[in-house]
Amino acid sequence: MEALGQLIGGFETAFTWWNLLYCLIGVTVGMLVGVLPGLGPTTGTALLIPMTFGMEPVSAIIMLSGIYYGSMYGGTITSVLINTPGEAASVITCLDGHPLAKQGRAGVALGVAGIGSFIGGTISIIGLAFIGPALAELALKFGPPEFFALMIFGLIMVIGLMGRSLIRGLIAAFMGLILSLIGMDPVSGAVRFTFGEAHLMNGLDLVTVAMGLFGLSEILFGMENLQNLDKPAKVKGLLPRKEEWRPTLSAIGRGTGLGFFVGLIPGSNSVIPAILSYTLEKRIAKDPSRFGKGAIEGVAGPETANNSYCGAALIPLFTLGIPSSPTIAIILGAFIMHGLTPGPTLFQNNPDFVWAIIASMFIGNLILLIMNLPMAGMWAKIAAVPPKLLYPLILIISIIGAYTVSNSLWDVGVMFVFGIVGYVMKKLDIPMAPIVLTFVLSKLMENSLLQSIKMLEGNVLHLFARPISGTLLVLSLIVLVLSVIAEVKKKKASFAGDVEM
Amino acid sequence: MKKITWGLIGLSLALVVGCSSQGGQAGGQSGQAEGKKYPEKEITLVVPYAPGGASDSTARIIAKNMEEKLKVPIVTVNKTGGTGGVGMTFVQSSPNDGYTIGYVPVEMTMHKALGLSELEPSKFDLLGQATMIPAAITVPADAPYNTIEEFVEYAKQNQGKIKVGNSGVGSIWHIASTAFANKAGVQFTDIPFDGAAPAVTALMGNHVDAVAVSLGEVKSGVEAKKLKVLAVMSAERDKNFPDIPTLKEKGLDVEVVGWGGFVLPKGTSEEYKNVLADALKGAVESDDFKKFASERGMSAVYKSPTDFTAFAEQQFKFFSDFIPTLDLK
Repeated sequence: MEALGQLIGGFETAFTWWNLLYCLIGVTVGMLVGVLPGLGPTTGTALLIPMTFGMEPVSAIIMLSGIYYGSMYGGTITSVLINTPGEAASVITCLDGHPLAKQGRAGVALGVAGIGSFIGGTISIIGLAFIGPALAELALKFGPPEFFALMIFGLIMVIGLMGRSLIRGLIAAFMGLILSLIGMDPVSGAVRFTFGEAHLMNGLDLVTVAMGLFGLSEILFGMENLQNLDKPAKVKGLLPRKEEWRPTLSAIGRGTGLGFFVGLIPGSNSVIPAILSYTLEKRIAKDPSRFGKGAIEGVAGPETANNSYCGAALIPLFTLGIPSSPTIAIILGAFIMHGLTPGPTLFQNNPDFVWAIIASMFIGNLILLIMNLPMAGMWAKIAAVPPKLLYPLILIISIIGAYTVSNSLWDVGVMFVFGIVGYVMKKLDIPMAPIVLTFVLSKLMENSLLQSIKMLEGNVLHLFARPISGTLLVLSLIVLVLSVIAEVKKKKASFAGDVEM
Repeated sequence: MKKITWGLIGLSLALVVGCSSQGGQAGGQSGQAEGKKYPEKEITLVVPYAPGGASDSTARIIAKNMEEKLKVPIVTVNKTGGTGGVGMTFVQSSPNDGYTIGYVPVEMTMHKALGLSELEPSKFDLLGQATMIPAAITVPADAPYNTIEEFVEYAKQNQGKIKVGNSGVGSIWHIASTAFANKAGVQFTDIPFDGAAPAVTALMGNHVDAVAVSLGEVKSGVEAKKLKVLAVMSAERDKNFPDIPTLKEKGLDVEVVGWGGFVLPKGTSEEYKNVLADALKGAVESDDFKKFASERGMSAVYKSPTDFTAFAEQQFKFFSDFIPTLDLK
């Protein structure tokens, strides 16, 4: 109850005019940063840090964290409307968000994403406030072996995303794996598959690849039959249909839990909870074939998960001083710059400060919800803009977005190449989702596997001896076996499916 | 409907304008008009790493302070990729008209030995050093050893058993722990992480036994009483942590520090270089930069173009001799 009293004290600080204004500025900038492809929250916060020099520490952190969680709301918009993810966490939203928009339900997708984001965000802040310190120690138990086991678990779940044809799905999954090999080997430092090109040394950028695969290929595909394109569907409402409420809300609930859990793990990023949530939703759905064609849970789950992740990811920072992602590292920098050291003593030495930040995050999430719901309808109308006007605009936004990734034309070229790759894949009916998923997971997986092997002195079986990694690996095995059995059972049916295509 | 369309067009135009002003560094005139006032227009500062990191913040604060002195804006541009190689090569091939300067970290002197790029100090005009940050040999607070001697003793009895986290293969902190191990006659098992922060996190979770990363990275862990620093690898004790001994005091003659400095494309006129070096000196020695540096666990250290050139050459020689002995790849 003591915490509750302090939280009320925090609200008093957060509710001053200046702090409200900074909160509003923060979340608005966050939204914008999220909307613009290429410009992510990391860059957004970094660019605004110099502006905070003259500000009160509380106001500065309120504004910077506003950018951080605000961007999670913004990224959804471009994913849904133009199939171009605004930032990494929203890549997954393209899969079902854009098909929804094509059906004239962009408003619903954005509305659900807004509501889910709000619920996920708010609950994770409650978690941050009341159970954060207790969970922080748990987070430290996640070393490389545990991380590796989690990635394996995620990868096994991807099997569920293969689409109608297992072979086509596997082709896509392996493409993702191969793409993730480009760059420097994490353990030996050897440079792989770069063909002497310095830009490739750090590997390919997820957002650039996704912008090409999803956004650009969409344009190319649409250009083919510009004349007889279907009239854009009419925009229908912001809320799901009556019968959709139940699955949507349970997806939001699961997304909140998943996001919160992954947020605690140092070294994770906001894409992982979104991926896990999407695969989970598809696995437990009664009719998985709806996914990829506009399943509302496929938007609700991941969008909730990445917001829930945000709050939880601040727990290691507030309680241990550990920055668990690049954006949080910048917020840590801002803490230090304003003379505060995050760590176990932060809650004791600067309670007014911490609670004011937490209170401001409640307010910020509410502002974002208020901003997003009415605007969802407005944004949704963009989907009704005729292609001949919309396509050039998407192209301009994508090119600028790709350029800002590392301020070079290189990334623009990469995006175009993947646009063409995506177009060919669409023609061949190869699903896009597995590429993105394996691309994200395998990089982290390789890293943590190699670290684990060195840590465990080469004995991989020791992975099973550690409680967390052991449990996760056994679970993965069970899921794998069950999937194989299920696959064998419907083998005939799936072969028939292949032939049909 | 129409309104929205026009709104979108407006938005994208605004974007184009916004971005072109940021990226407009290429349009420099190469002719250095004699007798003209320098600088007379904005200067571009190229940072080879992503926004938000220690290098980026350092460069931006220095740029802010230099702006006041030079009375022209300094635009910071991040050119990432190739572990810094892309940005540094960009500076190297920029016109030497005094309107492009680059931030370089210690890695500039390591790239060639690591086979990452052909960069080396002699390919630039060195402008001056700004920061220095020593490697700190850090262990969990509850580890059985309290001094560097006890740690070395323990390591000798457990050859190859001590797991040391570093910030990536061939990174400066990997070099630091290996150089330390060589001098002390011990063997570590190196575990590379993607940067220093995850290595420190793993140390806190007892997944590795020690790290030798920068003081700034372990500062909050030490203040939280989760970690303890046994020694620093600089020539002198660190001003922020005066109680921590150096390895040199303990008879281990090895020195590995991280540093950051500024460079110009080769052949920039001496006159311009002096103007810039002067502004850089003022910026490094300003109070707010000193405060920033000490909060980050770094020291604000200024070296003049001549001293910095000598220092960088000596570092380049050290790494070119040492890195091949690591047997990477």
